[in-house]
Amino acid sequence: MIGFILKRLLVALPTLLAVLTIVFLFVRVAPGDPAMVILGDSASQEALEALRQQLGLNKPLWAQYVDFMLMVLSGDLGKSMLTSRPILQEVAEVLPYTVELTVASLTIGVVVGVPLGIVSAKQRNGWFDYFARVISLVGLSFPAFVSAVLMLLIFAIELRWFPVISSAALDDPEARLRALALPAFNLGLIMLAYVTRVTRSSMLGVMSEDYIRTARAKGVPGRMVVWRHALRNALIPVVTVVGLYLGVLIGNSVLTEIVFNRPGLGKLIVGALNQRDYTMLQGLMVIYAFIIVLCNLLTDMTYGLIDPRVKRQ
Amino acid sequence: MSEQAPVLDVQGLTTEFRVHGEWHAAVRGVSFQLARGETLAIVGESGCGKSITALSVMRLVPQGAGRIASGRVLLEGRDLVPLSEPEMEKVRGNRVSMIFQEPMTSLNPVLTVGFQVAESLHYHRGLGRAEARRTALALFDQVKIPSAARRFDDYPHQFSGGMRQRVMIAMALACNPAVLLADEPTTALDVTIQAQVLALLAEVREAYGMAMVFITHNLGVVASIADRVMVMYAGEVVETAPIDAVFARPTHPYTEALLRSIPRVDRNTTELQAIGGQVPAISNMPAGCRFADRCALVEPRCRVQSPPLTMLPDDPRHHVRCWVRGGETSVEALQ
Ligand SMILES: Nc1ncnc2c1ncn2[C@@H]1O[C@H](COP(=O)(O)OP(=O)(O)OP(=O)(O)O)[C@@H](O)[C@H]1O
Ligand code: SF4
Ligand SMILES: [Mg+2]
Repeated sequence: MIGFILKRLLVALPTLLAVLTIVFLFVRVAPGDPAMVILGDSASQEALEALRQQLGLNKPLWAQYVDFMLMVLSGDLGKSMLTSRPILQEVAEVLPYTVELTVASLTIGVVVGVPLGIVSAKQRNGWFDYFARVISLVGLSFPAFVSAVLMLLIFAIELRWFPVISSAALDDPEARLRALALPAFNLGLIMLAYVTRVTRSSMLGVMSEDYIRTARAKGVPGRMVVWRHALRNALIPVVTVVGLYLGVLIGNSVLTEIVFNRPGLGKLIVGALNQRDYTMLQGLMVIYAFIIVLCNLLTDMTYGLIDPRVKRQ
Repeated sequence: MSEQAPVLDVQGLTTEFRVHGEWHAAVRGVSFQLARGETLAIVGESGCGKSITALSVMRLVPQGAGRIASGRVLLEGRDLVPLSEPEMEKVRGNRVSMIFQEPMTSLNPVLTVGFQVAESLHYHRGLGRAEARRTALALFDQVKIPSAARRFDDYPHQFSGGMRQRVMIAMALACNPAVLLADEPTTALDVTIQAQVLALLAEVREAYGMAMVFITHNLGVVASIADRVMVMYAGEVVETAPIDAVFARPTHPYTEALLRSIPRVDRNTTELQAIGGQVPAISNMPAGCRFADRCALVEPRCRVQSPPLTMLPDDPRHHVRCWVRGGETSVEALQ
């Protein structure tokens, strides 16, 4: 397993370099002069020139690329142009909120979605199956921010079970958990919808495999056929979907964070966009790249845990 | 149970499938007996109902799509048809086992081969982990898997087709069943491996004193392993006889055709070269004899009424379902 992880890490490195290059090119080649964007149309020629100098924008492209790569590789993402604070520090302050939201909604999605999908498949076309399918259809058809607003209206404003503004009193663990509940449930519902669907269809596929018939021919009890023989095989496509959806989840968290007024990477990026904080944007794109690569790595490692055929390749 | 009583006694088995909302028989009125230690070969083209017959005995006909409509399956004197699923779970892999055609897909890819063999010992014998492992290892040796101890914890994808089929055999043997159903166990294998697996099957059948149903579409394979042959066509038994009689005096026109088209070692084919056409679909069975459309001897009466299974006058163990070639005495009437 250790060798497998090391190998995956090695494979992840070029991916990361490629993504960093794309981030670099994207920011440089995108139309518009960052200096002009920052200082506005009315800035004087001298001021613009000075800023370009300061940002290293008048160096040749390859030199800027080398600068950028060296900076990233040395673990520094520069300073926010707006607050002049190190970007990493700004990120570190909000990252726990994004991570807890992602992990919580992922957990809801998997812990509820997988059993729901299994039972749904076992009682195919029964009432439970229809119920689960309706739930997942609802989860899939509501845009995240619509369901977020609905939840706020119902549970926070009408019923007053949860706070409307989540960011208050976040150092109190209980308050923080209460603040997490609605946003996590909001994103978790979408995750749950995907996971239920994929688990159901993949379970149905697996149950008609030859090796399931073999297990039954051996006299393995029905319950064990499902949990020991079928589930692990059925989870392989579920891992794929969860892995892919992690990225979407992080993207969706932007809207959720805004609606629930939570701190997080999403809010940071929206702020940077609004303020045209160009160094911050670049830094956040790098952070996202790292996160996505990390998610892929985790996905691959999960494959390795579930499917013995993966480890050998 | 007396010594002479058959271990497996299938009586009038009819298994149906739902096609476009209507039930059609894939296996119709099939009866056969299997004495202790005997090997019966079931032969017939693709789609003749061989697998469904075996799956019906195992009570593994796909639920919803198929059902056993009538008949009895007496295993060691007990009828399996009315048993509940939990009761069947105690019988499967214990008193009756089955080996399947496709070694590449019949083993679970995420479980070790050792576990898959040891598993039934756990369920049927209540063996603990260590003891099940020891017993399963002995089985690995018995089916001649080289360096068994080292390969015990390997996964199926690390095994060749022939080795996987050996694992399947070990699995089927684990609880020393009274009856082994082998559904084309060698068809998917290379010719040289086929011979080895066949020899192994014959050997373990002998060693364990099991009765075996050996399903194949290749009559050539049958000669070396079977005591008796049952030829099926379109879900029905058309001829059944001791092995020598089948080769010496094939009587049903379909059996003749099968014999004429025994695949050579270098050709693994399921088609009948000798006669054209194919097995009718279960939802489109002709009235009268089901073989009529492909039969060289067909007469007008063949298309009117389906022939009964009859006993040949000079050999009461040789049964044929044919108006022209059959005898006078209906076997079904006797039963
Ligand atoms: N799930 C199903 N639904 C409908 N018809 C089925 C189903 N399974 C089998 N049949 C039909 O039952 C008939 C017998 O099938 P069976 O699998 O027993 O054939 P076979 O003799 O084993 O052939 P082969 O040599 O290809 O394995 C076939 O005509 C097939 O179309
Ligand atoms: S009954 Fe008639 S059609 Fe059928 S096999 Fe005999 S001769 Fe041929
Ligand atoms: Mg078959």
